[in-house]
Amino acid sequence: MTESFPLALLVMAAAALLCRVAGFTLMRLVPVSPRLEAALRATPLAVMAGIAALAVQAGGLAEALALGAVVALTVVLGSDVAAALLGVVIVAVLRWLGV
Amino acid sequence: MSHAPFTWDGFRRGARDGVPLALSIFAYGLGFGLVAAQAGFGVAKAVTTSAAIYSGSAQLAAVNLLQTGQATLLALLAAILVINARYVLFGAALQPWLWQAGPLRSYGSLLLLGDANWLLTMRRIAEGEEDRAYLAGTGAPIAVAWLTGTALGAAAVSVLPRPEALGFDLMLPCFAAAMMAAMTRKRADLVPVVVGAGAALVTARLVGPAAAVIAAGVAGGAVAALMHRGAE
Repeated sequence: MTESFPLALLVMAAAALLCRVAGFTLMRLVPVSPRLEAALRATPLAVMAGIAALAVQAGGLAEALALGAVVALTVVLGSDVAAALLGVVIVAVLRWLGV
Repeated sequence: MSHAPFTWDGFRRGARDGVPLALSIFAYGLGFGLVAAQAGFGVAKAVTTSAAIYSGSAQLAAVNLLQTGQATLLALLAAILVINARYVLFGAALQPWLWQAGPLRSYGSLLLLGDANWLLTMRRIAEGEEDRAYLAGTGAPIAVAWLTGTALGAAAVSVLPRPEALGFDLMLPCFAAAMMAAMTRKRADLVPVVVGAGAALVTARLVGPAAAVIAAGVAGGAVAALMHRGAE
């Protein structure tokens, strides 16, 4: 690293900021058709499923069991926050048990 | 145009909903602080990094690059752009809703955009949230947690238990799974779920985890767009 850290940090901060505003700004130029709206509405569900699937792939049985329990608990309890927090407890216990 | 509600009430509602997520971000901040301290960052430098980049995965990659001693400005720039490319998608998905608040409030709110509060806000939008201050509200406790977590971690509080032992590393996936279950109401909602999970797994194997989340969102959105056309 020959360059100074403040300069590197400035470059990285600018890159991070660009990512935050680029998609938002580009969308201002695009007319939002009903079809595009349907795509945007589906995006969070797909990202949520992707994040959960990646955690199972990177983890293993404990992660798969805990996330499966989270889905079931959300339906049973009717509260996603409670289900998510219980999921964290479940995976901690499973890991402690050596699963 | 800029008449969509943006109130203190909406901000507070978002902040309250963001608190459970902030817990996991706090643990993640501790983790980043520890890594930064091991790379020779002091508390001030670590916290400045967390405030300036404000993205855990991108910061970890940057610190790893800096540790190799071969990090050029171009390499650091490329690492941040690749890892944070998902925010381009997140911002695009928020735009039709958020822009109604006007440019200053929109762009200001985007400064606090992260994975966790994007998921949370998109879920509330689907339920009919009208107050655009909700997004900034969810970001507030998360930002505080991220910066204090970084500071404590960098101060080498190594007496703390590893976040993994307490399951905190699985907090974001747990919230993602729970919100996904809560948002899946119709049979058709299962399509983006299945497509998103499949695209993420395949992309993670072929390209890497940074591209996997983007692939999930793009694939899920594309399929929904195609199906929408079929329904007309």
